[in-house]
Amino acid sequence: MVFVDLLISTLTQGFIYALLSYGVFITYKILDFPDLTVDGSFPLGAAITGVLMLNGMNPYLVLLVSAAFGAFAGFVTGFIHVRLGVRDLLAGIITMTALFSINLQIAGSNLAIERAVDTIFTAGPTMTLLGSLSLMQRKFIVALIIAVVVKILLDLYLKTKSGLLLRAVGDNSTLVTTLAKDKGTTKILGLVIANALVALCGSVVCQEQRAFASTMGTGQVVFGLATVIIGTTLFRRFHFVKGTTAVLVGSVFYKICIQVAISLGLPANLLKLVMAVLFLAVLILGDKKKGGAEYA
Amino acid sequence: MKKFMAMTLTAVIGMAAFTGCGSTGSSGEAGKEGESAAIPVIGISQYGQHASLDNCREGFLKGLEESGLVEGKDFTVDYQNAGFDDNIATQIAQNFSANNVALMCAIATPSATACYAAAEDKNIPVIFTAITDPVKAKLNEGNITGTSDKLPVEAQLELIRSLQPEAKTIGILYTTSEPNSVSAIAEYQEKAPEYGFTIETIGVTQQAEVLQAADSMIAKGVDCISNLTDNTVVGVLPSILEKTNDAKIPVYGSEIEQVKLGCVASAGIDYVALGVQTGAMAAKVLKGEATAEEIPYETITNFDTYINSPALADMGIKVPADMAQKAIEATK
Repeated sequence: MVFVDLLISTLTQGFIYALLSYGVFITYKILDFPDLTVDGSFPLGAAITGVLMLNGMNPYLVLLVSAAFGAFAGFVTGFIHVRLGVRDLLAGIITMTALFSINLQIAGSNLAIERAVDTIFTAGPTMTLLGSLSLMQRKFIVALIIAVVVKILLDLYLKTKSGLLLRAVGDNSTLVTTLAKDKGTTKILGLVIANALVALCGSVVCQEQRAFASTMGTGQVVFGLATVIIGTTLFRRFHFVKGTTAVLVGSVFYKICIQVAISLGLPANLLKLVMAVLFLAVLILGDKKKGGAEYA
Repeated sequence: MKKFMAMTLTAVIGMAAFTGCGSTGSSGEAGKEGESAAIPVIGISQYGQHASLDNCREGFLKGLEESGLVEGKDFTVDYQNAGFDDNIATQIAQNFSANNVALMCAIATPSATACYAAAEDKNIPVIFTAITDPVKAKLNEGNITGTSDKLPVEAQLELIRSLQPEAKTIGILYTTSEPNSVSAIAEYQEKAPEYGFTIETIGVTQQAEVLQAADSMIAKGVDCISNLTDNTVVGVLPSILEKTNDAKIPVYGSEIEQVKLGCVASAGIDYVALGVQTGAMAAKVLKGEATAEEIPYETITNFDTYINSPALADMGIKVPADMAQKAIEATK
């Protein structure tokens, strides 16, 4: 039972954070845009969620509103970069920095949501369908559904004309121009979608933990990049595996690595070192055939 | 898709192997469920490595022992440290919950929030410490209790007044995102006029800005600086003290460790004592004398005065005789 519980809660974390990984996948992998907005749009989603939930808004609706705010944050970064001509990295840094203050303004301070307030894991429709399950199992199933549904929607979108244009901007932006399309607008659209997903992730995390902390965004972009790279490295030789699937696995894998490091029972201060070793092991194993020659 | 399944499966099996051999002792406990002699496990989740938080943990274990519980016989400890990472704090708490620990001890607010969320399903008792405002963090209801480390603002103002009878302004550096600091400052501003002080504050958002803020504070010509338990600011306290020593501005600490680092004095919390108090509460829960739900959270009511005589002498401050008698010398 211990193992099953541990697995369920670890997978739950992996599925929830996969939303953030999808976002980073769009900017970093598809658009080739190192978007640091993430560290700000993630807590933005959580801050909006905290405030709205404490004011009694429907938790499912809160998800959408949070994503909309995240989309706006992405738009701002895109606008600063594309229309004002600021470098990509710096555009993200500017939005992220501004969001730190904005998040504090929105939430006032750190927030806690008491158990009497219903979240997506305890509200009406979820209880009707999964009421007989324990809270842990419900969190698992709800997180799984969200991660899979968002993945499918994203896959479908990437096949549309607009989605193909998005991929073209990252791969060969000249082509986009020759198609008489504005690559700037497409870039902004990519950032909007990516940060909507990141804020959505922040919203789910806030509902799951029943808390918002202004510092919760710190390091999220690093997590996102790590999961995208781990995921795509693992599946590098399997081209039929979709990128979104790869990063979903990457996110789950990352959380499993942390849980393994915790469970090993080594001195607590060694945790991050153990994590680093596990990641390295994964990347080397996933890359075995290449023997690292490509970097030599 | 096959590969996907294979990967997930490998990861899962790998995790099983690892958790199986975890030295937490809790897997052993689960195996022995049928027997009556299973030793309860206490999961301690500490938010990060920090002198005050370490003292809390040390005190917590001492408090359990003073209540007659022996480690290894009456309980075992699974200690985890999140390295100031909220995500890891979440997973530590889930690990405790999965391992069915008898009790979770959470040190600092983010760890307590994570433990409380993870414990909900199985109703595992959570005992917290080093939390400023349990009510605001909504950690005052349910199967949870503990101790608060709210700063003794009035005692500190009184201390500053008696050491610097002429002082008018107190400067405070703080991080805008630390709710503990924000609430402490509100209290300072409310109570300062009673003691004839005005408060000057400078807020920062990250550690890199603290020293610049210290320079501006010195330039403002404050009579002294009072330090909070603000993690970001305390992290660079020695460098702040270098600057203030040059400018001959006394800095007051908020707990013993800061005075040891060179602050002149502090009306403060002894985190070991706070931990001991917390440990005693946990012992009650473990022994079945009361549930965490029944025990209200506690705050420290008696504060000690800590002084650093060399630092005081440096500033030319004389300690009144009555204070010198009861104050505890805190120098390295």
